[in-house]
Amino acid sequence: MVATRLLGETERRPGRGQTEGALSLAERMPRLVLEARRVSTSLAHGLHGRRRAGPGESFWQFRPFVTGEAAARIDWRRSARDDRLYVREREWEAAHNVWIWIDRSASMGFASDLALAAKVDRALVLGLALADTLVEGGERVGLLGLTRATASRRIVEGLARALVADEAGLTEDLPPRASPGRFDEAVLMSDFLTPLDRVGAAVADIAGRGSRGHLVQIVDPIEESFPFAGQAVLHDPESGHELPIGDAGGWGTAYRRRIAIHREGLAEIARARGWTLTIHRTDRPASEAALRLLTLVAASRGAA
Amino acid sequence: MLGPLTFAAPFALAALAALPVLWWLLRVTPPRPKRIAFPPLRIAADLLPERQSPARTPPWLLILRLLAAAALILAVAGPVWSPSGIGATGARTPLLVMIDNGFTAAHDWRTRMRVAQDAVEGAARDGRPVAVLATAEPAAPVEARQPAAALERLRAVAPRPHLGDRAAHLSSITAFLEKQAGAEIVWIADGVADAGDDLAKGLGPLVARTGAGLTILAAERPPALALSAADAGGRLTARVLRAAPNGRDAGLLRALDAKGLPLAEHDFRFAPDATETDVGFEMPVELRNAIARIEVAGERSAGAVTLMDERGKRRRVGIVFGGTADQAQPLLAPTYYLARALQPFADVQEPRGAKGVAESVAQMLDGQVSVLVLADVGAMDEETRARVAKFVDEGGVLLRFAGPRLAAGNDPLVPVRLRRGGRSLGGTLSWDSPKTLAPFAPESPFAGLVPPADIGVRRQILAEPDGDLPSRTWASLEDGTPIVTAEKRGQGLVALFHVTADTTWSNLPLSGLFIDMLRRVVGLAGSAAPAAGQGGPAAVLAPRLTLDGFGALGSPPASAVAVSADYGDRATGEHPPGFYGPPDAGIAVNALRSSDTLKPLDLAALTGARTGSLAGAETLDLRAGLFTLALMLLVLDTLAALWLGGFLARRAGRLRGRPAVLALAALALAAAIPPGPARAEEPPANRPNGIESALVTRLAYIVTGDAAIDEASRAGLAGLTQMLATRTALEPGEPAGLDPAKDELAFYPLIYWPIAPGRPQPSEAAIRRIDAFMRNGGTVLFDTRDALTSRPGGPPTPETAYLRKMLATLEVPELEIVPADHVLTKAFYLVDSFPGRYDTGQTWVEALPPAGEGGERRPARAGDGVSPIVITSNDLAAAWAVGKRGEALYPITGGDQRQREMAFRGGVNIVMYTLTGNYKADQVHVPALLERLGQ
Repeated sequence: MVATRLLGETERRPGRGQTEGALSLAERMPRLVLEARRVSTSLAHGLHGRRRAGPGESFWQFRPFVTGEAAARIDWRRSARDDRLYVREREWEAAHNVWIWIDRSASMGFASDLALAAKVDRALVLGLALADTLVEGGERVGLLGLTRATASRRIVEGLARALVADEAGLTEDLPPRASPGRFDEAVLMSDFLTPLDRVGAAVADIAGRGSRGHLVQIVDPIEESFPFAGQAVLHDPESGHELPIGDAGGWGTAYRRRIAIHREGLAEIARARGWTLTIHRTDRPASEAALRLLTLVAASRGAA
Repeated sequence: MLGPLTFAAPFALAALAALPVLWWLLRVTPPRPKRIAFPPLRIAADLLPERQSPARTPPWLLILRLLAAAALILAVAGPVWSPSGIGATGARTPLLVMIDNGFTAAHDWRTRMRVAQDAVEGAARDGRPVAVLATAEPAAPVEARQPAAALERLRAVAPRPHLGDRAAHLSSITAFLEKQAGAEIVWIADGVADAGDDLAKGLGPLVARTGAGLTILAAERPPALALSAADAGGRLTARVLRAAPNGRDAGLLRALDAKGLPLAEHDFRFAPDATETDVGFEMPVELRNAIARIEVAGERSAGAVTLMDERGKRRRVGIVFGGTADQAQPLLAPTYYLARALQPFADVQEPRGAKGVAESVAQMLDGQVSVLVLADVGAMDEETRARVAKFVDEGGVLLRFAGPRLAAGNDPLVPVRLRRGGRSLGGTLSWDSPKTLAPFAPESPFAGLVPPADIGVRRQILAEPDGDLPSRTWASLEDGTPIVTAEKRGQGLVALFHVTADTTWSNLPLSGLFIDMLRRVVGLAGSAAPAAGQGGPAAVLAPRLTLDGFGALGSPPASAVAVSADYGDRATGEHPPGFYGPPDAGIAVNALRSSDTLKPLDLAALTGARTGSLAGAETLDLRAGLFTLALMLLVLDTLAALWLGGFLARRAGRLRGRPAVLALAALALAAAIPPGPARAEEPPANRPNGIESALVTRLAYIVTGDAAIDEASRAGLAGLTQMLATRTALEPGEPAGLDPAKDELAFYPLIYWPIAPGRPQPSEAAIRRIDAFMRNGGTVLFDTRDALTSRPGGPPTPETAYLRKMLATLEVPELEIVPADHVLTKAFYLVDSFPGRYDTGQTWVEALPPAGEGGERRPARAGDGVSPIVITSNDLAAAWAVGKRGEALYPITGGDQRQREMAFRGGVNIVMYTLTGNYKADQVHVPALLERLGQ
């Protein structure tokens, strides 16, 4: 008989294991520097115009004042130190970011012994690895509704810390209401075991300003196959609901039909908004999903 | 009743009929279904199960539970397996349990007792009154009681140290059987015929007349061994007896002294169908005289023990010298040679304060000597001569030596007629050379002894050449002249050495031959036991130590009665075997006379009796086994229910992924098995009792059981050992850790004892051993390690309190703080204190005798020996402790590194002091001696 287990709240937080797993996964990712071809002037606004002076908020450099510039641009504090006049330049900040959301609710803590890892483990590793690879490629990454998008070198640790601090996220099984910018992208990782209308509403919220996104459904193998037979009592870790079934084999047939319908509904939600749906089973290696996601993100960038 | 299987509560078996109902009940109540956590349930909660297949209990589980129920019901019914069928008749008539409890039953007493208890318990199950009769006890009326009371009575029965007298009980049995019609008798017999007329002869008609049922339980062949010892012909002979050949053909006899130490062991072996065998002990007479007890090894029975009293032991020899009482040269007196020659094997008595020969002889004869030696005694007055003659007639040995006085006198108390005067050989006026002894004739008591060639007889007295002279001659010179003659008179013997007992006439008293000859002569006195007193009434001796039925010596029971000094019979109930009278003049009474034999019990007269074997007669109560079986089945059932509910699988699944957990579990299992003695893992050189310990001087410490302290002690003594090896001529071995209760302490000059207040106090035995160690010159260095925490005048620290409690029962000399001139401060280094990790504590040693008043002030003083005890609180071992690379392991207080050096110097001094004692104190005289030599 397949044995199952549920992770507790503390286990569902990212720990050193997940962080290191994410980093090592990110290292194995091809260094897609989200090709330079996408760094075109046409995309200058919003894509890769960073690392240069421009409109932005953070300091970039002081440069000597050129005669003819507006005097208001002179940084008097710096200029007072010597005889020259300096202008403070700010980094050109792009408003285009990748927002990641990782479901850490109780249902994500589920693992059967057919799986390589619990669903939440897999989601954390995937999300953090994605963040690291994207930052490496020059993107800014943030957690939806939790952090700002940054391009920090230590993005994995930063995100992990934010996740640990977020207690509310341990019970939420849908992304928070947040509106990313028009050119931002959202990556939502969950098992999406929520009624379809609620999922649809959440996606509609996020996609409200035209941002695009990717749904990643993490699935435990027995959630697909339901390999039980005989008498059993099923219980739902989130709602506490219990269902005694006398003949698990017969019930499984109906269940598998239901799951297929649910998945079709998810795909429909994604398609309606121009999003993508990735289904990842936890008995498959994480790199599969990571590669696919990177390709999807890169492709959507190219299309933008 | 199913053959030998009976039930205490057979009605409980009716519950077995309810098992089918249980079957049905269990079938419709299946075990709890497995519970599966399943998150997708939320989106599929409305999927109602299509059909509910009714769950059934699996058949194997059903069978398991039914078996458990059946085992429980059977156990409640109280099944008992009793092959002998005692107490299983269901009748309510009384039961008489007769149990033989003479010493012949002691060998397998536990078996007998169990069989008897089974019989009583069987009667208790049937509710029958029970009477218990122990056949070796004095006869008493037999009455039936409640089984519980009878069981109490039975438990009080113990084997008696003498043969029983079964026939004495016949009348009470008769009375019992006539009163209780239809009673049943169970006789647990030992199979050995007893002292009196046999009970069987009387019992047969009685049983036939009263119609009582009789069951006899006995081993097929009585297994008991017994021992009767007889001292015959100067050789200790023990006779091992058995009633019938019983397969126990070989064994071991052991001779022990009065303190219970084994002196000799000898195998014995029966011929296959013999019932007795003789074993002779060949041993020197001195050793033989020390034997107090001979026993059959491993045979716990009073009959297998023979006690030896003084009667068969060292002869008393009285020596009377005819010369002047006040010898100017006592070392040249004849008595001196005689006493020295006789002492190894005889109890030599010499007259005290007697004036003349007559008084001396009277004193000797009053002292009940068995050999009277008269050295150069001439004429005796009539009365004395009559007493001596009577003494010889009654079996005494009179041994006379010639001399000037005998040669001058005329005396009938000699074996042969003597010529007046003597002859002189090898003198200045004689042509003859001193004559030596001829080889002894085979019929002589001295046969077998070889006279050395250098014996020279210069002078002797001569016998008249009568016709019977050759038959009375025990030894003669080369020329045939008799030199030792003897004659039997009455029960006794008169022997004469024709030379003096000193060296004036010959050098015979200087030779080893003299001792051997005397030994033979004294040995002849063996069969002639001296009559007690002067014909008055025999003395009465009170019991001192008696044997119990198992052959263990103890204080006499209240029923023991004194015996007369000439008691020679076997032991009885009134006179249990044991020692009677004072230790040096008492007698021993044994369970068997030396002429006794054991005979098998004749049961031929009891034709109607059922007989059973003792071995298979045990009753087996099956309740415990059935309850255990039911319990185990229930445990199995619980496990199965857990497994069916999916709990075990989850656990196992988790374990499967974690080999470390499995390994841990295996380890825990291994740890649960009690480990062997940890000592076995110690390196052989460190074993405290090995021969290495005796060969190498080494320091030792007491293992307190506190691992940190013990490690500090070991490392500390290792450090001090290194330091001693580098700085002094002493190279000690590796330090040894000791357990004072177990290990031999004598190998170690100095034992370091750190006080661990958390540990229990050493046992009383350990304290006594430490006491002996200190008394025999060892030194114990107690370290309370509390100099940091103790305050002068404050309450004692736990360590101090522990030490005080421990020393309370030790003999500790008066102590003082080490004075400045104590030799301990000068034994190797000149030190003034003994710091360890701490330097504030004081060091205490045995107080020296006060310095002489006004005497020269010497730089070092010492007592006579080494102080047996040194007490410090400075934690010396921690200051000495070094690691593998020689680094110090523990910091010292104060931080002055010199303190560690001083600690080592103090330690070297302590070791040197224990090894050399007051040697250094004597060395202070060396300058004065050198100065004197130089002059």
